[in-house]
Amino acid sequence: MRYKSQSVAYWYFAVAMVLFGLQLVFGLLSAAKYLGPDPLLYILPFDVTKVIHTNLLIVWVLTGFMGATYWMVPDESRIELHSVKLAYIQLILWTLMGVTAVIGYVFRFGTGNKLLEQPLPHKIVIVICMLLFLYNIGMTIWKSRRFTTTEGILVLGLGLAAVLYLPALLHYENYTVSIFYRWWTIHLWVEGVWEMIQGGFLAYLLIRLSGADREVMEKWLYVIVGLVFIAGILGTAHHYYWVGVPSYWLPIGGMFSALEPVALIGMAIYAYSAMRRSGLAHPNTLALHWTIGSAVFTLFGAGLLGLAHTFPDVNKWTHGTLITAMHGHAAFYGAYAMIVLAMITFALPAMTPGRSERGSSIGYWAFWLQLAGMFGMTLSFATAGIGQVYLERILGLGYLDAQLKIQVHFLMLLATASLFSVGVGLFIYDFFRYAPRFEVSNEKDPVLQPGLRGAASVS
Amino acid sequence: MNKRQARLFAFGSTGVAALAFLVLTIDSHRQFPKLTNAQNITPAVTHGKDVWHKNNCINCHTLFGEGAYYAPDLTKIAQQRGSQYLQAYLRDPSKFYDEQRHRRLMPKQDMTETEIADLVTFLDWISKVDNQGWPPRPILVTGASIAVTGNLPSDQVAAVAKSAHPPGTAAGTADKNPVALGEVVFRTASPACNACHSLTPGANMAGPSLAGVGTRAQQVVASSDYKGKSKDIQGYIRESIVDPSAYIVPGAMYSANGVSFMPNTFGKDLSSEQVAQLAEYLATFK
Repeated sequence: MRYKSQSVAYWYFAVAMVLFGLQLVFGLLSAAKYLGPDPLLYILPFDVTKVIHTNLLIVWVLTGFMGATYWMVPDESRIELHSVKLAYIQLILWTLMGVTAVIGYVFRFGTGNKLLEQPLPHKIVIVICMLLFLYNIGMTIWKSRRFTTTEGILVLGLGLAAVLYLPALLHYENYTVSIFYRWWTIHLWVEGVWEMIQGGFLAYLLIRLSGADREVMEKWLYVIVGLVFIAGILGTAHHYYWVGVPSYWLPIGGMFSALEPVALIGMAIYAYSAMRRSGLAHPNTLALHWTIGSAVFTLFGAGLLGLAHTFPDVNKWTHGTLITAMHGHAAFYGAYAMIVLAMITFALPAMTPGRSERGSSIGYWAFWLQLAGMFGMTLSFATAGIGQVYLERILGLGYLDAQLKIQVHFLMLLATASLFSVGVGLFIYDFFRYAPRFEVSNEKDPVLQPGLRGAASVS
Repeated sequence: MNKRQARLFAFGSTGVAALAFLVLTIDSHRQFPKLTNAQNITPAVTHGKDVWHKNNCINCHTLFGEGAYYAPDLTKIAQQRGSQYLQAYLRDPSKFYDEQRHRRLMPKQDMTETEIADLVTFLDWISKVDNQGWPPRPILVTGASIAVTGNLPSDQVAAVAKSAHPPGTAAGTADKNPVALGEVVFRTASPACNACHSLTPGANMAGPSLAGVGTRAQQVVASSDYKGKSKDIQGYIRESIVDPSAYIVPGAMYSANGVSFMPNTFGKDLSSEQVAQLAEYLATFK
């Protein structure tokens, strides 16, 4: 840790860890309800556990993004944060918002609009937190007069994420129109600006971990951002299938969704070649696992599994089935959960002395168990979804009867989800195992020490 | 390519894509009113939409295929079930489905009668939105649209097979056996009869099983409870299709206050010829 104010990141990460654990509790509950009958039908019905599961995901990932940004910006701009106090106020406000929203959901206090269930007061607090955050980051960079491309991409992504939340604040009379603008927030977040944020973190981590040349890395970062938006913006069309919009969205969706994996392939090649070029130079190999893992799992979950059902002729049959859950779980985990875990793993040794820079065996178990668990969950959703599409959509068996026939896949889902939860449990345990101690160290980043890496040039 | 050119590519392509997206958005707005029948969004529909949101329906069900995957898609439900049925269902779902059998059940929602009625009106508006013909095949809640003939007694299968048109030829020509034509109507009427009625004994879906309906019709017409006008099996079945409330089959899941939940639109939507064919077909189930 080279700047004292970077310590705020620790508390953001800690909150993110707790919420991540909570998210899994509600995820496991939801999965168990697929097996049924449900003893909690009138206490915690499926709609409640599911809304909490998805909302906690959004909150913890955003908490992680913010923490990681507070860690990265001082490093990049070589200055203390503009206001540590403001960062803590924002964290408290943000956490209160998240916790009260979740408690509210138990009592059905929500808007009932998928993924944007936050009640209006909470939405306003979200906007305030975003503004505080962007102000704090913006002032930090402005004061430093040092502005790298990597952090520029990151901050632009975060700023656009805030702007794209605005359509969610409006009210629409026509259900179809409200769907139309809901995807401006959700799709353009996850397949647009969040990927920009992921790209920013990825570039930062690769530059630090592999010592790859900054000019080269940032040039390719631009190319990736360009590819993300060419495909991502018009790719919104794949959410406009069958919802009451003009038919031209169908071919547009098919065409541009097919391009979406290009950016993700680019990202994976980017990460892999950076690592190849410089070798595994940095001692924090665990963070490197998470970084490369994120790029590869994104390609699999978002790219490949997304492509599997975005052609209109395929989607006609798979739309609104567990095939979507298959893609959703793998994509979100690979792209956003893993990149946050990568940033945490990278930053943690500097904030918790006593921890090995190389990562512990618990850390590696956490990595591989999560990967295996999530891969198994993806397969469970996929097999369940294929069965559902065939029985319900193609043969015409009733929904309830088709669900009974795919019970075995829900058992598999529960088993693999438990495996995944063990991996997450180990990660959380490893996170809290060492008490934080925030000491500013003037020694150089390990990557800059001679002898640790190969012949790669210092950026 | 140097960094400057890469930056130009990133911002240029983003700008072009965003511009195209905005133009298409404006054009979509031009078309929304027609595609969604916006003139039919009455205050009841709007209130129904609010009820839909308030009860968090989307986190179990899907609408237009969007939502959660724990409960059936409801895009076209209002065309598969009449409003009487849907209202009674919403009052207490446990009267309609058995949690032990299907392993999940919709919890009873805390809704007023107005909320229930408006929610059904909203679902009716949804079912009429022009959504490019999705779903391509009806999505049923329970039962099956397959193997209808597979459930027939063997002599009737033979009769249907003999009279049915060979594959690839046009259906509906006048010289075909009315039983065979009735079987086609049973599957293709809108809403399809087999969306609610099975032909398997004891398999009651939204409507009672029609296995043995010919025999039952004979008994009903002869019994003293029957107040309808028809005298024979075909007449009784025709009457039940055109005027479902003329004779009420016992059971809280089929009717309320003397009004059957079956849509009463078939008399209007089907020709009298089609109704007659349907009656001929169903009368064979003895």
